[in-house]
Amino acid sequence: MTVKTMLKGLATASAMAAVMTVAGASLAPANAEEVVLRMAVPDWPPTRIMKDMFDKNYKAPSGKDVKLEIDFIPWPDYYTRLNASLTSGEQKYNMAVSDSQWLGAFIEGGYYRKVNDLIDADPDLKATLADMHPAPLQAYATYPYKSENYYGFPQMPDIYINYYRTDIFCNEEEQANFQAKYNQKLPCTPEEMDNVDWDMYEKFGEFFMRKKGEKLAGQVLDDDFYGIAYQAGKAYDFSTMQINAFIWQYGGNIWDETQAPKGHAEGVVNSPEAVKALDHYLRLTKYMPPVVKTGSMDIFKTDELFREGKVASHIEWIGFAESTINPQTSKVSDKVAFALPPGLRGEDGQIIRWANIGGQPFVIMTWSTDEQIKEITDFVKWWLSPEVQHQYAAQGGQSAIKSVYNDPKYVTYRPWNRTWAPGLDWQKDTWHIPEFFELLVQGQEQYDLAITGKQDAKTTLDNIAAFQEKLLKEAGHIQD
Amino acid sequence: MTSVTTTGAKSPPRILQPRLDNWPAAFILAIIISILAIALLPPKASFWVSLAACALAAASAVYNAWGRYKGGLLVAPAIALLFVMNIFPLLWSLGLSFFSYRANRMKPPAFIGLDNYEKILTDPTVWDRLQTTAIMAILTVAVQMVVGFLLALLFSKQFPLRRYLLILVLTPMMLSYVAIGAFFRYYYEPTFGLLSQFVRMFTGEPFILLATTQGAMAGIVFADAWMWSPFVMLLVLAGLVSVPKYLYEAAAIDRLSGWRQFWNITFPYIRGLLMLALLFRTIEAFKLFDVVFLLTEGGPGTSTETIAIYVYRQAIQFNKTSDSTAISYILLFTVIVLTNLYLYLANRRAREA
Repeated sequence: MTVKTMLKGLATASAMAAVMTVAGASLAPANAEEVVLRMAVPDWPPTRIMKDMFDKNYKAPSGKDVKLEIDFIPWPDYYTRLNASLTSGEQKYNMAVSDSQWLGAFIEGGYYRKVNDLIDADPDLKATLADMHPAPLQAYATYPYKSENYYGFPQMPDIYINYYRTDIFCNEEEQANFQAKYNQKLPCTPEEMDNVDWDMYEKFGEFFMRKKGEKLAGQVLDDDFYGIAYQAGKAYDFSTMQINAFIWQYGGNIWDETQAPKGHAEGVVNSPEAVKALDHYLRLTKYMPPVVKTGSMDIFKTDELFREGKVASHIEWIGFAESTINPQTSKVSDKVAFALPPGLRGEDGQIIRWANIGGQPFVIMTWSTDEQIKEITDFVKWWLSPEVQHQYAAQGGQSAIKSVYNDPKYVTYRPWNRTWAPGLDWQKDTWHIPEFFELLVQGQEQYDLAITGKQDAKTTLDNIAAFQEKLLKEAGHIQD
Repeated sequence: MTSVTTTGAKSPPRILQPRLDNWPAAFILAIIISILAIALLPPKASFWVSLAACALAAASAVYNAWGRYKGGLLVAPAIALLFVMNIFPLLWSLGLSFFSYRANRMKPPAFIGLDNYEKILTDPTVWDRLQTTAIMAILTVAVQMVVGFLLALLFSKQFPLRRYLLILVLTPMMLSYVAIGAFFRYYYEPTFGLLSQFVRMFTGEPFILLATTQGAMAGIVFADAWMWSPFVMLLVLAGLVSVPKYLYEAAAIDRLSGWRQFWNITFPYIRGLLMLALLFRTIEAFKLFDVVFLLTEGGPGTSTETIAIYVYRQAIQFNKTSDSTAISYILLFTVIVLTNLYLYLANRRAREA
């Protein structure tokens, strides 16, 4: 073969490739009615259920064939993966189910689209958002936090609650022993459990910590057993979410972005109340399964321990409840009940229950086309419509819309739904500023040192306060 | 080489001729166009213009080589891929390390010279992470060398089921890091884990290996050594089987002790390979990431956070893009120095021998 014929062959091949590309492009209009929406979501039941409902029921009002292509990404890596996709500029996703804290980082980066215009243009959507509980709406949609700038719509609102074993707590022998030891009744019904404060919860920890060979609820244990568990892991936000609750309940505070630029971290983050709160949080860990000492007792580990029947009670996001009552994934599916999480009893005898809100909004990426934005808006409206919200709740999801969750039917869907409305009133959120992840990671590292017994609460919070003060000053969030 | 020169006496020098096979001119043109594009055009447009210019230069080189340098053309695709996937990003990130830039901010990169390097070299956190990395690298490489060497001595002898055992011993090396991480995470887990269950048979208490700095370090070193000792074994084994039998026979006639036989006959044959194993494993250990990340996330606190995890946090989690490229270059430099040091020592020994 000469150079000439080879070049000719090359030219022919590239011409054919070009023709095929053009043909492919011209074939596309035949399916012009198809609109593909690519979405990144965390991989867990609330998003799996959503995908399932979409595939089965969704008909776009525009008559177009709307396809939802979802990437399910595991929770611990979700931020890193989405962050990498967005900052790399690949523009892969049109929407995401975003954790609420990320708003600042990704809005400042120019990725999340402001949605005020979509809300203003649509009276139905406006009415739906007006009917939403303010706590999730502010946490999921506003930036700066609690402003009027909206960037998202709630997908799955979430709070953490108390999961406990009825076969253990309601056992007569255990009831009698508990009464004898503490002169208090061991709670059994969800209503009794709602009234549990941290002191009582600590007693559960002490009372139910049993060794292999000892008896529990009339059965001889073939393995060690533990009373209580909550998140105390190093990764992501797997201790901060619970520690914040303690800090708020004690009347302390995290650095408050709504007070910027006047509010400081020094003196707030390491206030005496906050130190007391962290001490209390740490004290309870000694009754928890030993994995807590390794910094890997995250929300997945406590969930696993509970479903494997190794702990009597744990504090967990509602998002995990569905797999706990499923006999295929849980050894305790038929003996679990749900109550409000414990709190700190105030001087008036009432329980203070401040907690860190979970849950995620839908967000829209700035590079989505008008056509895609129209379809996304329709999809979001469909998702937030009362019928779909009821359906979602009936399959284990939650709704932030007042008229939906105040419907008497709502509490009948799932045993944990009774905690939803009262729990929502006690939610606050962490920072939404772009630097949140640095604050979070440094805090998690410091908390991990405290949880694994390397340093005390005071040192931990002093270190966190000093770091935050410096970082936030550099970023201009604190100005003297 | 059969280069054809058609340049007449009157025509201008070859480099000035506007011909497709005039590749030096194409290269110079591409560089000028790229620099102008980067300086004048918005980032996206400059990227495509530079790409087109590079493609032109490459096309010219290929056209020039067509029919003349068959060997060169055959490796060209591989080199092109290497350039696109490896060399270009490497150079790009080297440039970025002299700028102040965060990938998640709208601000364009600003030139700051050596500030990033100065900041890193005076940062006690970086030195702390380097120290952790060094301790871990020394421990894990030492364990791997010793265990790998002993395994090789064992497998250099013939014994029943040797072949099957060899396959079993080599398995860890072939597993993915994720599998190893998940496996050891459960292995060390205090409630369900085998290790804890085993210790509990004697002490009655669950054993929490990863709770202390030393324990976490030991856990990581064990997992990494478990995975990579077979690699050392494989290299040493290759050396051992290459020792001619007659040397041992001669030594036996001379009534040399086992120790002398090993030192005077076996060791010289495997020294080079041992050096190679040491080199490979040290470089790898210096970059240790996967096992640490999966087992401890760098915890408790930051006590097992290696420099690789630190870079990952800076680059991917905190989006300190230019800072982290600077650390990466310092790391690269360190590894290159280490490598050369080893090679120098190995060569010197070889010359002495």
